[in-house]
Amino acid sequence: MKKWSAIAVAAVWAVLALGAWFSPAEEVSEAERRQLAQLPEISVDGILSGDFMAGFEDYSLDQFPLRDTFRRIKSRFHHFVLRQKDNNGIYLAQGHAVKQEYPLNEKSVAHALARFDSLYDKYLTDSKVYLAIVPDKGYYLAQSSGHLAMDYEKLFSLCREGMPWAAHIDLTQALSIDDYYRTDTHWRQERLTGVAGVICDALGVTAPREEDYTRTPLERPFYGVYYGQAALPMEPDTLYLMESSLLEECRVYDYENGKTGTVYDMAKLESKDLYDVYLSGARSLLAIENPNAATDRELIVFRDSFGSSLVPLLLQDYARVTLIDIRYIQIGLLERFVEFTGQDVLFLYSTLVLNNSAAIK
Amino acid sequence: MVFSSIPFLYYFLPAVLCLYFLVPWKGKNAVLLLASLFFYGWGEPKLLLLMVFTIALFYVCGLAIGRAEQKRWKKFWLMVSVVTGLALLGLFKYADFFIGSINAAAGLHLPLLKLALPVGISFYTFQCLSYTIDVYRGNVPPQKNAVSFGAYVALFPQLIAGPIVRYVDVARELENRSHSWEDFGAGLRRFLVGLGKKVILADNFALLIKLFRESGEASVLFYWMYAIAFTLNIYFDFSGYSDMAIGLGRVFGFHFMENFNYPYLSRSVTEFWRRWHISLGSWFRDYVYIPLGGSRVSRGRWVCNILTVWMLTGLWHGAAWNFVLWGLLFAVLLMTEKWIPALQKLPDILRRGYVLLTVVLSFVLFNAESLGQAAGDFAGLFGFGGLPAVTAETLYYLKSYAAVFLLGFVGATPVGKAAAERIARTKAGAVLEPLMMVGLLLICTAYLVDGSFSPFLYFRF
Repeated sequence: MKKWSAIAVAAVWAVLALGAWFSPAEEVSEAERRQLAQLPEISVDGILSGDFMAGFEDYSLDQFPLRDTFRRIKSRFHHFVLRQKDNNGIYLAQGHAVKQEYPLNEKSVAHALARFDSLYDKYLTDSKVYLAIVPDKGYYLAQSSGHLAMDYEKLFSLCREGMPWAAHIDLTQALSIDDYYRTDTHWRQERLTGVAGVICDALGVTAPREEDYTRTPLERPFYGVYYGQAALPMEPDTLYLMESSLLEECRVYDYENGKTGTVYDMAKLESKDLYDVYLSGARSLLAIENPNAATDRELIVFRDSFGSSLVPLLLQDYARVTLIDIRYIQIGLLERFVEFTGQDVLFLYSTLVLNNSAAIK
Repeated sequence: MVFSSIPFLYYFLPAVLCLYFLVPWKGKNAVLLLASLFFYGWGEPKLLLLMVFTIALFYVCGLAIGRAEQKRWKKFWLMVSVVTGLALLGLFKYADFFIGSINAAAGLHLPLLKLALPVGISFYTFQCLSYTIDVYRGNVPPQKNAVSFGAYVALFPQLIAGPIVRYVDVARELENRSHSWEDFGAGLRRFLVGLGKKVILADNFALLIKLFRESGEASVLFYWMYAIAFTLNIYFDFSGYSDMAIGLGRVFGFHFMENFNYPYLSRSVTEFWRRWHISLGSWFRDYVYIPLGGSRVSRGRWVCNILTVWMLTGLWHGAAWNFVLWGLLFAVLLMTEKWIPALQKLPDILRRGYVLLTVVLSFVLFNAESLGQAAGDFAGLFGFGGLPAVTAETLYYLKSYAAVFLLGFVGATPVGKAAAERIARTKAGAVLEPLMMVGLLLICTAYLVDGSFSPFLYFRF
């Protein structure tokens, strides 16, 4: 390179280096929804053990100037120039960002089934138990877009065989890819009355009707979890609340903090994950009291995050619905908070959680 | 610290460059020495003492050889340096291999030492050995300045993954070297090309290799994709590092020897080894093969020399039997080529095909974690054990990596370099060349920031 060319390249390099040295550290990455590494403390032990160096490597990556822009450059180069079919395991198909969930992790499924089995043996032998598996977006998109996906039929079959004490509700036909957010893993509440109807029919309770709800859009655009991970060009989603007078009068008791709130937690409108507005997001144990229920029946839902947006649509006939997420509470502790007296029981789990079930306690 | 990391690119290197060009000439080697020790200590803080001891040992031995008037004393100090240097290498790199082999052969249970392998020990030990041997032979005077000698041994551009720079090749530049914008620009370009090879190509192939190893749906095609991916991975990883080392050296005013010359275009295995890891091949030639008598000995002795050199070459790469077999495989091929000159008269396409196939298969052996895994990989390549020819997963990765493979195939030939040079010679080249370099820097940075961090393969050697 000639002198001025070399100076030009070195100047760009120097500007980035100055940014790396002197730009202020940020606390969180909104796009990746995580805490960013901070400059580690210097100590003799940290240096001798190499911990300081490892911490500094993390810090330098996390705090690099224009980090999100660089991540976008990478994903675009990866996607459009190298023509790689996925970026960090996320791919785009039909306008959706999808996590490539592959292959089927039979050990993980077995772990989840073993935990469900111990739940049944300990608490649920007097209950009518149902299982509904929520397919992830790959179920609808992987094959048609030429991507890899787990063997869903085998997963369903393993669950049927592993939970002979539960009646199985097939949701695959009640859903389509349009029922999911484009930038997120979850399903869209405003499109779930059909799914809720299938489940209510199986449970023998009144199915929700579209006309009983008002669809209220949230002003803030919804950038789902895959938006940040994919770092590919995508428009945000809009999140809707299915509101009704019945839901307005329901009260939600959170066993974690002892507070009572509403089905839609408006305090979460400013949270990193807007989806948390549904039943306050990730909570270990909630109870919804429905003063206007048509019956005195009760429902217990063992669930993951998909349940947060669906359960409000199952409430019409139930006087009380208890939501339990055994990723955040030990099975053995449940009897301290919940009285199991033969209530209806629904296991509502996504294929994503079943295939990555290490968090289930 | 590795070159392809944010701490190196944006913290360490800019700081060192500023210091280096700010201090007067007398202080430049001291800056390089201190920076190199910091660079080494960043990754190996506890083993920094070993590095300092090695520098001191060879510095003192070099001086003693130079000052000794009697040949036997020169030889004594040479032996002190060679035996101690090899003992340290043997202790840290090979002790557990030998103990494990003895345990396996004799049914013993001798405890393993489990010492951490100092990064780059094979490279800097060989550099130091070349120094005292060359001083002993009278090829070069001993270095009297401890700082300059330390800067040579620890010089961070080539400290941990080569090329193996002989003292005799840089002795003059350690004392007196010039710096120019031309060298700076050429070095910068070479460094960025190497960075691109490592980050964009080698690391992508490394990811495919990882996916292959994790796959539960192996197929014959996937095994071949793996073998070819590793062949490209190790080339772009190692030659990329060499490019970066040579480029950085040039920025600091050094001219290191070339280490690769498009080895996958070779028409014989003999030629391959003249193009692959040139600094290692020439080191073994000059310091082992020729002292053993080279080819000017009886046929039996020559065979023995070749087997010794290639077994050592294999062992240099790693303390495991697959590396020994890998080296011996090349010994057999080299002897075969020597004994059957008719092979050189075959059509070029056949000769190139033979070299590529040989190299790809040899790297399968090279990259195996055990002989058992190597046997399994060869069985997979040739469809033993009822493997399907292809699976949906294999086809997916084939499609996903098609462009990367294509880029790799082109990058392993001089086509890209020739095109870049042609562009640089045009009027538009004055603008396009720096734009391409900035683009390369930004894309590599983007990959690093996104976390596709992968250490260099040759660190373990």
